[in-house]
Amino acid sequence: MGNDLLRTEFLGVQMKNPVIAASGTFGFGREYEEFFDPSILGGVSSKGLTLEPSRGNRGIRVWETPMGMLNSIGLENPGVEHFRDHEAKNMRRLGCAVIANLGGHSLEDYVRGAEILNDCDIDILELNISCPNVKSGGMAFGTDPVQAADVTSRVKSVTRHPLMVKLTPNAGDIALVARACEEAGADGLSLINTVLGMAIDVKAERAVFDNVYAGLSGPAVMPIALRMVHQVAKAVSIPVSGLGGIATAEDAIAFIMAGASTVQVGASTFRDPMAMVKIIRGMEEYAVKKGLKNIQDIRGIV
Amino acid sequence: MALIIDNKKLSEGIFLMRVSSDLRPARPGQFVMLRPKGDGLFLSRPISVMDCENGVWTFLYKTVGKGTEAMSELRPGDEIHMFGPMGRGFCEVISSERIRRAVLIGGGMGIAPMYSLAKALRKTGAHVKIHLGFTEEPILRREFADVADELMINVGGYVTDDVKFDGGTVFFACGPTPMMRAAAGKAREAGAEMVVSLESRMACGLGACLGCTIDTTLGSKSVCKDGPCFRYEEVTDLGK
Repeated sequence: MGNDLLRTEFLGVQMKNPVIAASGTFGFGREYEEFFDPSILGGVSSKGLTLEPSRGNRGIRVWETPMGMLNSIGLENPGVEHFRDHEAKNMRRLGCAVIANLGGHSLEDYVRGAEILNDCDIDILELNISCPNVKSGGMAFGTDPVQAADVTSRVKSVTRHPLMVKLTPNAGDIALVARACEEAGADGLSLINTVLGMAIDVKAERAVFDNVYAGLSGPAVMPIALRMVHQVAKAVSIPVSGLGGIATAEDAIAFIMAGASTVQVGASTFRDPMAMVKIIRGMEEYAVKKGLKNIQDIRGIV
Repeated sequence: MALIIDNKKLSEGIFLMRVSSDLRPARPGQFVMLRPKGDGLFLSRPISVMDCENGVWTFLYKTVGKGTEAMSELRPGDEIHMFGPMGRGFCEVISSERIRRAVLIGGGMGIAPMYSLAKALRKTGAHVKIHLGFTEEPILRREFADVADELMINVGGYVTDDVKFDGGTVFFACGPTPMMRAAAGKAREAGAEMVVSLESRMACGLGACLGCTIDTTLGSKSVCKDGPCFRYEEVTDLGK
């Protein structure tokens, strides 16, 4: 993979390729080292961080669904300060772009978290206003264009990093939220976070998850994600990172054709630890076969 | 690539599957992630390794859902996705070098990891006593007798009732939660050392998804990566 076919510049960051490990599915970048060297990736987005360390949710946290999964992890993480003091340095050594994913329960949480991340050597700050699994804040910021714009502009005013806002598919009109974030100063957008779903244990006659609702991901959500990336990419002029059920190179290429500059792979890595390696290889083969100078040549062609 | 050698039904819903794979060998108490080919299942299933010798892997499982049901339909020569081995085994918790006498307690499918553990401990010269508990008909009695100095079988009762806990012996337990709680209570009373192997739903099997987090005296731990073997007294769920 020593050529430039997949080389991508995203929010001013040079990446070897447009494939990023999605937040919450790749730890802090070392978990899959036994399978492949993370330096082959375009980037890694960290586990979602919150101002205070969090234990996450109780009860069942993962549940398989038809070609997908529900999760209710609830942002278990060691906290932003721990990240600053430990994981950030280790992530820098991964040899790919480093993205810190920041969640929050209040406007103040996001601002304070972003300030702490100013002390870290990261490439991009991904603002998670879309986690469906925390009781207060989280997704509430991402479903309302006014609140989404508010948190975006507040964080933008304090952060020294390029700011990418991660959107939720559970908004009434995701393109409206996307435009609001762009106007508020976002440098880029990532979408989609998980789709709010539910599972019921019929035998026990109760919800599977303690939180009742949980986040659906995996190939089952891909058509929804692709449609939303297509809508958002047409609605804004800032770069978009597309994710939601990407499992193969063909899926990743479809997202780029829909207008995404980069793609993120999440749940599919759980199914096949080598998924991203195969996706990168497949995208490169595609670029060669199609005679492209760079994979970005097909961005937004649909 | 992993191929099914055979997949025998031992009793209603219980199967013994042998798989050939060139993955690096498992240590006793580790598990692998298994998924039959095809689009029927999205996630792999964590399955404890019963035995692993010369590239032949043995798994004991019970059909409890879609994943294990699909597994039970595999025939010799079929391919199965397998990665691993994963996790911290029994002897990474308490080194086998310092074990002279060991008592292994297995309940239900929890008997599986006790097989390779017994083999490993006897190789180091330890005296190995195995207690197996079954709700209905016992299985693999002869196989376990071959790897134990003493074997005791309990059918329909509480396997822990048969176990004498003492301070000079190292205990290992794997089975349903009530069995594990009973064993923990008795180990605590006797001041005995015990390692337990836990079970959990998992998505990734290696510490990335945080789907299998448990509370321990040392903070939150992942069953898949920090376990599945733990000192019983660290596991909050096994009570005081």
